[in-house]
Amino acid sequence: MSLEIVKVDGARPYPPRVSEFTQTFWQALADGRLITTRGVEDGRLTFPPKPFCPHSWSDRVEWVELSGRGRLYSQTVVHAAPAAFAAEAPYRVGIVDLDEGLRIATRILDDGAAPVLDGPVEIVVLAYDDGPLFAARPL
Amino acid sequence: MSRNVAVLAAAATPVGRLQSRAGDELQNVEHEILGRLVIQAVGEAGIDKTEVGSLVFSHPRVYTQQLYFATFMANYLKLTADAQVVEVMGNGMTGGLAFDQAMADVASGRADVALALGINMETAAPTVEHMNRTMRTTGDIDFHTPFGFTPISWYAMDATRYMHDTGAGRADLAAIAVKDRGHAALNPIAQYRQPITLEEVLAQRPIVEPLGLYEVPPRSDGAACIVLAAEEVAVKLGRPYVRIRGRGFFHEGAHQINESGGDMTAFVAAQRAAATVYEQAGAGAGDMDFAELYAPCTIVQILVAEALGLVPRGEGWRAASAGEMQLGGRIPVCTSGGCLSRGHPPYVTPLYGMVEMVEQLLGRAGRRQVEGARLGITSSELGNYNAALLHVMEAAA
Repeated sequence: MSLEIVKVDGARPYPPRVSEFTQTFWQALADGRLITTRGVEDGRLTFPPKPFCPHSWSDRVEWVELSGRGRLYSQTVVHAAPAAFAAEAPYRVGIVDLDEGLRIATRILDDGAAPVLDGPVEIVVLAYDDGPLFAARPL
Repeated sequence: MSRNVAVLAAAATPVGRLQSRAGDELQNVEHEILGRLVIQAVGEAGIDKTEVGSLVFSHPRVYTQQLYFATFMANYLKLTADAQVVEVMGNGMTGGLAFDQAMADVASGRADVALALGINMETAAPTVEHMNRTMRTTGDIDFHTPFGFTPISWYAMDATRYMHDTGAGRADLAAIAVKDRGHAALNPIAQYRQPITLEEVLAQRPIVEPLGLYEVPPRSDGAACIVLAAEEVAVKLGRPYVRIRGRGFFHEGAHQINESGGDMTAFVAAQRAAATVYEQAGAGAGDMDFAELYAPCTIVQILVAEALGLVPRGEGWRAASAGEMQLGGRIPVCTSGGCLSRGHPPYVTPLYGMVEMVEQLLGRAGRRQVEGARLGITSSELGNYNAALLHVMEAAA
């Protein structure tokens, strides 16, 4: 399923590195899809995506698309930010348990009110001028 | 070969802002500060410098100009060693690992006397610039850091989740900061010693919600030296010493969050390490007279106290508010004032924990002495307690 793409002016404050392997993830994200890898033999998902299954250490992995839906496990608002993020502070970040059973950490988009823990969230794409990031938005 | 290890002495400089600015005409230099502490600690231990066989340093901060600091110090103090001279590094656990490695050198028979020591200088670096570096330590720099997580933001998320799960309120967490300041007021080497009220803690500006300025660690410099020896060395000296009764370690194979989920506030690594250390010590949580825990934020102290079984799981906030964790309470925690008020020079914070263990167990803690302190537990950690290192120690006559 396709994720909503939210345009953000400017460059990412601390852009992720892209490797030959992870470029597949970042390209899919730019196209509105959240994907990761799954071990072919044990069927276990991992995040971030890896060129091997961290559980079985098998290098037989496949790319799979995630639903982009989950629940908010926890959150905070960062007021004291590193220099790189000073222009964005204060900002909300959190931990999301995706419906597929993966726990991720990401930026939280909201209207300023503290989101409810265990409440549903959806992943959206943040399309900065220099490339994509992802974020979770309470539903 | 494995043998009992004793702690003979400990020395530390008052925690505070010691680091000079780059332009200052006269500089506070690390080797002078630490060198004096080594001479003090070895002197108090009652041993000769030639008996030292191992020097295990906590790795200095990136701001320390002198590189290869350990071997530089060996020369500066004209200390020889026949076991090893090394700097160890393990994030917030660094000082704990220095102690642990020195202990292992003695237990294995490689050294009869070992020093665990180090200095952490960082306060001249502006906090926003310092965080540009530390944000890369506590998170995946490609899949976490781009969102703006800071080291203490993870603890803040522990607090949010814990309050949701247990019904604890902000004031229940903030009570830890008041308690720790009360302890620090009695500790001459603490960084912040002026008592504070709950209202003052709650009125501070937010840093990482729900935690405010007094619920997160200050910026601190510090240095410490601990003298360890084979127990037979301690016995021959004929003075009181501290016996290490057990050691536990566990790394949960996760970096800040576990991708498989689970109860983040359970501090699983601390639970697993506790099972090991209590078994080795032949003692349980209920036998501990006090605990000196590595807890950079109020919430962390509650969670690690729960994980070690010192207070019931999910009930630590009630124990804190009821005064159980303060001096005179059922299980005094962080009698030094802890990270929040004693101060938090991260790479040597665990060594300051060892200093407090020694002072309490030798009955030298003055007005903050835990009456009848015989057994205590101390911790260090990294990440969001993704790994924990624990030591149980006892007073030996």
